[in-house]
Amino acid sequence: MASAYLQIILSGLSVGGVYALVAFSFSITFTTTKTLNFSQGEVVGFGAFVGVAVLSLLGISALAAPGITEGLGYLAALVGAGAVMGAVGVLLFLLAVRPFTGKPGMNWVMSTIGFGIILQSLGLAIWGPAPVMVASPFGSDVIRIGDAGIRPQEILIFVCVIGLVVVLDLVYRRTTFGKVMRAVAFDPDAASLMGIDIRKVMVLTFAFSCALAGVSGVLLAPIASASLFMGMGVALKSFSGAMIGGLNNPRGCIYGGFMLGLLETSVAFWQAQWREIVVFLLIILVLAFRPNGLFGGTVAEKV
Amino acid sequence: MTVIQKAFLPRRRVVRAAAAALVAAAAGATFAGGALAQGPDIKVGFNTDLSASASAEYSRNAVLGFQAAFDDINAKGGLLGGRKLVLVVRDDLAQPPKAIQNMSDLIDNEKVVAVFGPTNSGNALAWKHIANQKKVPVIVSLGTSTDIVKPMGGDNYMFRVSATDREQIRSLMTYAKNNPKTGKVGFLVDTTGYGQAGLKDLTEVSELYGIKPVLVEKLNPNDTDMTSQLNKFKAAGVDTLFVWALGTPIGHVVRSMETINYFPLTLTSWASDSKGFFEAAGPKLAEIPLFMRSVSQDRNAKTQELFKRIESRMPAPSGFWGAAHSYDSALLLAAAIQQAGTTDGPAVRAALEDLKQPVPGYMKTYEAPFSKTYHEGLSGADFMWTRWKDGKLGPYTDDVIIKLTPDAYVKG
Repeated sequence: MASAYLQIILSGLSVGGVYALVAFSFSITFTTTKTLNFSQGEVVGFGAFVGVAVLSLLGISALAAPGITEGLGYLAALVGAGAVMGAVGVLLFLLAVRPFTGKPGMNWVMSTIGFGIILQSLGLAIWGPAPVMVASPFGSDVIRIGDAGIRPQEILIFVCVIGLVVVLDLVYRRTTFGKVMRAVAFDPDAASLMGIDIRKVMVLTFAFSCALAGVSGVLLAPIASASLFMGMGVALKSFSGAMIGGLNNPRGCIYGGFMLGLLETSVAFWQAQWREIVVFLLIILVLAFRPNGLFGGTVAEKV
Repeated sequence: MTVIQKAFLPRRRVVRAAAAALVAAAAGATFAGGALAQGPDIKVGFNTDLSASASAEYSRNAVLGFQAAFDDINAKGGLLGGRKLVLVVRDDLAQPPKAIQNMSDLIDNEKVVAVFGPTNSGNALAWKHIANQKKVPVIVSLGTSTDIVKPMGGDNYMFRVSATDREQIRSLMTYAKNNPKTGKVGFLVDTTGYGQAGLKDLTEVSELYGIKPVLVEKLNPNDTDMTSQLNKFKAAGVDTLFVWALGTPIGHVVRSMETINYFPLTLTSWASDSKGFFEAAGPKLAEIPLFMRSVSQDRNAKTQELFKRIESRMPAPSGFWGAAHSYDSALLLAAAIQQAGTTDGPAVRAALEDLKQPVPGYMKTYEAPFSKTYHEGLSGADFMWTRWKDGKLGPYTDDVIIKLTPDAYVKG
């Protein structure tokens, strides 16, 4: 029984890691522009296929056994997906967000959803609807702890999330760019008066957010297989994670993602068919008592 | 220009197709003029999804099977003194309303004498009342939901030649009942309509066999981690697990089995024969589930011959069963029309329920397959025990299967 509980934690962390990554990508655009990219799910799926395309350009079979070449190929796929989706993020900002920023109404909601539909249709036209299985660069042998287990790819995602938290902290607190981002998030008008090019910051955050979602797609592909529809469910759950953690706190989003993953596996161990009901009821409860999320809080920080 | 080709032409080419059809019809008329006197063609409808969902591939295999059978029958002189069989195909786009509309079109406008049923069970359920009201016999060669051929009061015009969920489950349950290592039994089903209908059959059939599951769990078909559910089965000491789900989720179930190092005897729906399952599971773990499959091309020399005949045109060779079931369905219908001596619906239905001559098909030789109350052409004993081996689907046998006799299968 102990190993069953350990498995809940391992599985929860590995499912939650994916939520955390995407939840984080939601929060970075929200903190700086107060807009969200509702096509994040499509970006995840499209990114996964860009990764698959990079692999096939390098002549590596997506299902090849792990080795040095395959490992480097996977790295190239991650970089490629990040770069291409970063560019898509710039496009997304210019076409679907910038025309509506600073204007009343929520037109950007519709336009980002529309951008996602365009992206998905484009993907379907290029790659078709069939999912593609991608091999993990570290193989798929289970690493066993007693009778519980975890796969190398799940550890990789976990490591990436932890790495991201550390890098994020350094960037936010130690670099000028971090300071600039925090300034824009705190008060765009004041930041603008201080000579900060807000538009540039906004473009960069959208590029970074989409790049991260694309990379998440490639990371997720060896677990769920690359599919243009893979991101839809993930994006909804990740958004929920972000809400739990607090959309305006990037770190909180990461915690929220992990919490949601752990919650899901624990509820499933109790009664799998009640999972979604319990999870979303809890989210509603959290938001009722803490509208800004568990770690959201109001900003009272001097920059 | 055959019916199949016409059915698959994109719309913008319809004009060209129509022109070609006119030429073909003119040529046909010339030949007919030279032949012996014969009645009008006998039209048979096929109402199924040809383009909209993943199951369209099976329907397209089925078209090849029906057409091959019709070609063979027509080459031997047709039915009822030289009348030719013609297939009229309608795409239901996997949508029940469209399927209902097609049914009216086929019966009222095209005047078909019988209809072949769809891949998507839900669509057949949506229009089965029309077939019964208008007294048009239907043979379903694809859809597996048990309720399709259930009577609705009055004469039942719905027949089937396919691997029903219930018959698959009956076979798997027979295996479990006769396997000394079965021990405690658990059911794991997905939350789709397919999984839920499967759970109903699992529950009913297990009662017939006096088997009681110690645990029933559900899984979400989009999940990739099923360790929570599996750990409950493990804690409950389940030795034999029935999994009724679509292919890809079953793949994730066996992966999660490896994660928690728990490998019960796993009996699954035939979705484990799909590409989605194999890719999700990987070649090693794909060998875990034992399941039933209706037919594969290497069943015997005859099936190989049919496979070769249509191979180059089949969209999905793993769905060959669709073609074989459909070929046999066409033969059974032809035999009934011939026996009835008319294409009149009630007479053909009565003939199907009381076929006097054996019909040698690809699946088996059908000897009085249907009766007034029994409308399933195939049963569990006609299917093949299947397991993946070295990346390929193959027939499977063991000590338990060798000893299974027809008496071991509990009816009901």
